[in-house]
Amino acid sequence: MSTSNFVLFLVSGGLAIVGAIGTVASRKPLRAAVALLLHIIALAALYLTLHAELLAALQLLVYAGAIVVLFVFVIMLIGPAAEVPSNPRGKITRLLSLVVGGSVMATVSFALVGHTAPRLPMLRNEAGENIFGTVEGMGVAIYQQALVPFELVSAALLVAIIGAIAIARSRTPQEQAVVVERQAERIELAAARDAELAQATAKVGS
Amino acid sequence: MELWQIILAALLKIGFIIAVVVGAFAPVLVWAERRQSAMMQDRVGPHRAALTLPGWAVDLVDSTVRPLFAGAVLCGLVAALAGFGIFWEFVFSTEADSTFMGVSHEGLYILGAVATAVAGALFVGHKVHAGLVDAGGKVRIIGLLHPLADALKMIWKEDFVPPKADKFLHAIAPIITVIPAVLTFAVIPFSDTLFLDYLTDVVPRDGVIQGATVPMQVANLNVGILFIFAVAGTGVIGAAVGGYASDNKFSLLGGIRAASQMVSYEVALGLTLVPCFMIYDTLRLEEMVMWQHTHSFVPGFAGTWGIFLPPLTIGFILYLTAAIAETKRVPFDLPEGESELVGGYLTEYSGMKFGMFFTGEFVEVVALAAIAAIIFFGGWDVPFLFRSGFDLPGEWAFTVPLTDWVIADQILLQHWFVVVIQLVAFLGKIIALIFFQLTLRWSLPRFRYDQVMALCWKGLLPLSLVLILITGIGILVLNQ
Repeated sequence: MSTSNFVLFLVSGGLAIVGAIGTVASRKPLRAAVALLLHIIALAALYLTLHAELLAALQLLVYAGAIVVLFVFVIMLIGPAAEVPSNPRGKITRLLSLVVGGSVMATVSFALVGHTAPRLPMLRNEAGENIFGTVEGMGVAIYQQALVPFELVSAALLVAIIGAIAIARSRTPQEQAVVVERQAERIELAAARDAELAQATAKVGS
Repeated sequence: MELWQIILAALLKIGFIIAVVVGAFAPVLVWAERRQSAMMQDRVGPHRAALTLPGWAVDLVDSTVRPLFAGAVLCGLVAALAGFGIFWEFVFSTEADSTFMGVSHEGLYILGAVATAVAGALFVGHKVHAGLVDAGGKVRIIGLLHPLADALKMIWKEDFVPPKADKFLHAIAPIITVIPAVLTFAVIPFSDTLFLDYLTDVVPRDGVIQGATVPMQVANLNVGILFIFAVAGTGVIGAAVGGYASDNKFSLLGGIRAASQMVSYEVALGLTLVPCFMIYDTLRLEEMVMWQHTHSFVPGFAGTWGIFLPPLTIGFILYLTAAIAETKRVPFDLPEGESELVGGYLTEYSGMKFGMFFTGEFVEVVALAAIAAIIFFGGWDVPFLFRSGFDLPGEWAFTVPLTDWVIADQILLQHWFVVVIQLVAFLGKIIALIFFQLTLRWSLPRFRYDQVMALCWKGLLPLSLVLILITGIGILVLNQ
């Protein structure tokens, strides 16, 4: 890793940690969203140090441009109700959670020290240039090397979208009419049963 | 190239962009817009800001008014005499090297041109001086000082924050808006590649040139235009956060409107440009310009601008609509519609924080106009201008009467001059596109909010998807 890359890594990595802590620690939801924005931008910068330009652009496009906006939007619609009340847990609980969380992080870090990621074969185009991380390289990876999983994932997303629409949509007039009809039937049935019951009790009473 | 040269070039380019976009385009844009609105509504417009000259300077200016006029008349007479000389010689001269009142034919042409130019300059000077004296020594420069006065006012105005507002978010929202707007210019190419070693030479028209080169854009990214979309998408949050943090119902409603409108139109904006990527076969803006510079479909022309390709003509209309909506300007300015929401998410902003929102909006207008100029109008491409200079169609040469001066179809130019012409052409295209947007702004009434949303999701989005399909089919058929 060259010096400039290392400095970039330190700066963007530090900003990512600051953003992540801000997201979790902030009481005010919108401040948490802005901290998340900082975290996402820092992550995009980290991708840039790894020569994954397209991934960095997509990170900003999808997460900063769509997901954070969605969060902000929901927070604005909910309004003051989105504010978190102060933490009711006691000191010992907090200390315990800190210890557990810290030990998990330490375990993962120790496991990763000295471990290097496996070297993948370089992606090269017809001219023999290294196209890792470029638009071309991503296209080759998604649409040639991993076409079937990619299509399966997009099918799954499509199903999820259709399901969400099916759950969230309102009833059409015809469906509404059917519902009303059934309700009326049920009410009639209940009334008939009530009448029978009343007759029966009257007989028993007499 | 040395490292320090690269860093210096990058700093110079960044400085140029900030000076041109934030320093020149944004204020002039504000001025042009107000001027136009004043013209349409029959008001004086931005005209009051002035620098007042001291009394003795006014007297000095006054004393030069008459000499300037006299000089202009004199130069005009000389020019008329030179013109008459050319006519006289053309009609009555029999010898090739005869003279008119002791002046040669070439001398007459030069004298006529110079005298006309000087007469024009002196006449304009006379008008300006007389106007200055009439105004009592107030320098107004057709109202161009007004944006400057506005900027100074904003810097020193009180920065009011509502008492119950979230001060941190209230302060950070304008920053989130203005930074992405300026950042988009990082990947925009302002002219063809500059060859440092051959600045004063005529470089060959085709082929590879060795030596140090400076690409005329700040960042040469592989993702190209995706970078612009990625960065611009962040700008949405600024308006939303500003609206929420102001502790004001109008601001909140304006922020919600701004966020939903910008998110919706960002999708349409991206999709309207997809046919261009398919045709140009690249995402890099400099390669898009190069494609238009080198691909010709009409005999006689060396290049074709994107707007002359049928799918992109429709694409341009869709893009322009989406771009105006994306910048939240009339007729799509619902987020700050003053008849409903006072000032929308800007209601509680004052001073330079408001100024930053304002600058961000105008810089965004310039950025989207620059993208349109690059993708649909050839960027820095000037018809018949190549690396070597102008090469007009055909093979011809024209001799100026009575002289041996020849004007031919090829005009060779030095490299630096070609680059300057391309730069000026690009800036001119941006200005023309912005001016078109301004004219729209003062001509169209505002939409209703549901109409804005319906136009995006039921109009632009399906249309651009259909356009992508048609372009794909066209490319497949033409490539067979």
